[in-house]
Amino acid sequence: MPLVIALAWRNLWRQRRRSLVTAGAVGLVVLLSVAYFALGGAAENGLYQTLTERGGHVIVTAPGADDATRFEATLVEDADAAIATVRREADATLAAPLVLPTLDVPALLSGERRSRGVAIHGQPWPDPARERRLDDATLEGRFLEGDDEIVLGAALARALDVAIGDEVVAYAPGGAGYGVAAYALVGTVDLADPGAEIAAAWTTLAATQQLAAPGAVQRIEVHGTSLRRIADDDVSAALAATLGAALPDLRVEDWRTANPSTQQLLNALDPLLFAVSVLFFVLAGLLMLNTVYLSVMERIHEFGVLHALGAGDRRVLAMVATESVLLAVVGAAVGTAGGLAFVAAYADGFRIPGLASYYASFGLDPVFYLSIDPGQVAFAVGFAVLTAVLAAAWPATIAARIEPVEAMRFQA
Amino acid sequence: MTAEPLYRVRDLRKSYRVGEVTTSALSGVDLDVAAGEFTAVAGPSGSGKSTLLHLMGVLDHGDAGEVWLRGERIDRLPRGAAARLRLARIGFVFQAYNLIPVLSALENAAFVLELRGEDRAAREAKARDALARLDMAAYADRRPNQLSGGQRQRVAIARAIAADPAIVLADEPTANLDSRAGADLIDLMRRLNEEEDVTFVFSTHDPRLLDRVDRIVRLEDGRVVDDGTDATDAPASQATP
Ligand SMILES: Nc1ncnc2c1ncn2[C@@H]1O[C@H](COP(=O)(O)OP(=O)(O)OP(=O)(O)O)[C@@H](O)[C@H]1O
Ligand SMILES: [Mg+2]
Repeated sequence: MPLVIALAWRNLWRQRRRSLVTAGAVGLVVLLSVAYFALGGAAENGLYQTLTERGGHVIVTAPGADDATRFEATLVEDADAAIATVRREADATLAAPLVLPTLDVPALLSGERRSRGVAIHGQPWPDPARERRLDDATLEGRFLEGDDEIVLGAALARALDVAIGDEVVAYAPGGAGYGVAAYALVGTVDLADPGAEIAAAWTTLAATQQLAAPGAVQRIEVHGTSLRRIADDDVSAALAATLGAALPDLRVEDWRTANPSTQQLLNALDPLLFAVSVLFFVLAGLLMLNTVYLSVMERIHEFGVLHALGAGDRRVLAMVATESVLLAVVGAAVGTAGGLAFVAAYADGFRIPGLASYYASFGLDPVFYLSIDPGQVAFAVGFAVLTAVLAAAWPATIAARIEPVEAMRFQA
Repeated sequence: MTAEPLYRVRDLRKSYRVGEVTTSALSGVDLDVAAGEFTAVAGPSGSGKSTLLHLMGVLDHGDAGEVWLRGERIDRLPRGAAARLRLARIGFVFQAYNLIPVLSALENAAFVLELRGEDRAAREAKARDALARLDMAAYADRRPNQLSGGQRQRVAIARAIAADPAIVLADEPTANLDSRAGADLIDLMRRLNEEEDVTFVFSTHDPRLLDRVDRIVRLEDGRVVDDGTDATDAPASQATP
């Protein structure tokens, strides 16, 4: 070991309790930062999962569907070819893709006595993400099994004054379909969101097509069901680009471009995480400053001797800085190990106790996936070292400028 | 003209101001030290012994006068140059606490060489040799707090001579030792002086040590009252030129 390092190490060891407390503080700050970044990553991943489960990783729609006023303008007509293309490209790019063509038809739903206007949602089933909230507690009756069946939100069923087994008639005139259909109500769903519950009417894609637009869809969603972390998702954008080229008449977006406000939120989140982390380090830095300052003041005479022997100012400066950096490096090493152990322990996902069913009732994935990238670890360690250098700057300057004669006078 | 002395001090003055009071520590000191001499600076407390050694060791600046080392004027050197000169030419031994507590005797003895950038093997060899010359080879791995006061001072001398300086300046090296250890230390320095030609200037106020030296410079109130040259080989009547 070089003498400079050995000297610094032994000097730290002289005040081992103080050094341990300080290194411990640095370690704690690094650990907290790593854990905090990982939780921030989990929050980002949670957002990502919610978005992609609800809307898909890649979404194909009719151009101009967003501000269309007529139902027909929202349609992708004769969609079979487009769906086949999407399926082919998705299979080539993603591990376990789920391709979901959907068609929502605005219709008047009627029971025996009452009616209500809703958008009937049609898509092929099963769809694990949308069906997550359907369990014994929330689903009464059963889920869809045929094209002449319908599942309603419990509030909507009450509004129509219909019960399971009753007939529900849908009127959607003006389209290319039959314009009218009768469904058997097979199930009702309790949703946590009342607004969603009063508007929920689910049937099959074939049913909504027959009702209003044979052969057409509004959206073709591609769900990469194995994608859990933003960091792992290097495929959505690429798939969107490929599909965009293959389907020039349609609009193809990935989840980012389809949700610009979320994109902004994600962009704002990282600086926020860093800012809070910087605050941690400022606090640890003050403790380091105190430690280094005390250890310089206690050794004024010793530094005087070093100067007298001919040690240059820079050498003395470096000695003090080395002690400080060593302290931080030891603390940061322990903190990083602890932080990464925490991330590793929960990398396969964790549930917040008690909140899992609450999350599920909103259709959200109750499992959080911690996520940290090497840059964030490097940031935490680098910042610990930078903090040490800054904390040492002033005391080290004091030590470097000591007048040997003055310092000698300190002797008892 | 005689050969250039190792040290030439001329009309050196230094005073300290504390508040309104000005104390004159040195009021015009003249002194020559030749290479190979073994010189004691004696005098009562406050007579200026430490101040003189500090100025000779470029640890501090005087107010007036000149200090020459081997024909080079050193009393006005800026901080960095003074440090480099001390590192290259001057060995120091102080009254107390002059070893680095976290280093072993060997590492302390090697420290000046380390500051000079010598590689590990070379500096350890020289440091071991220096410790051996002070009968301290057996204590190479001890930390200062595991050594007696006399042993610590020997390590300090080993550190000074390991770097082979032009002179060793020692300010009251025996002050913290009992008289027996003090006398032993001076004897060791004397032996290094006689056998290896190391030049020493040390200060002391212990009169019992003075019969072991061949030149005594006596200071009183910041002036040299007897510069010791006539006590040895010069006629009693000779005046300072
Ligand atoms: N930093 C200082 N500030 C004020 N006065 C000082 C300072 N250093 C020395 N003096 C004064 O200068 C004079 C000479 O001091 P110096 O330390 O050189 O004496 P000394 O001969 O070494 O004494 P001692 O035998 O007690 O060590 C004394 O009067 C002392 O009080
Ligand atoms: Mg003194």
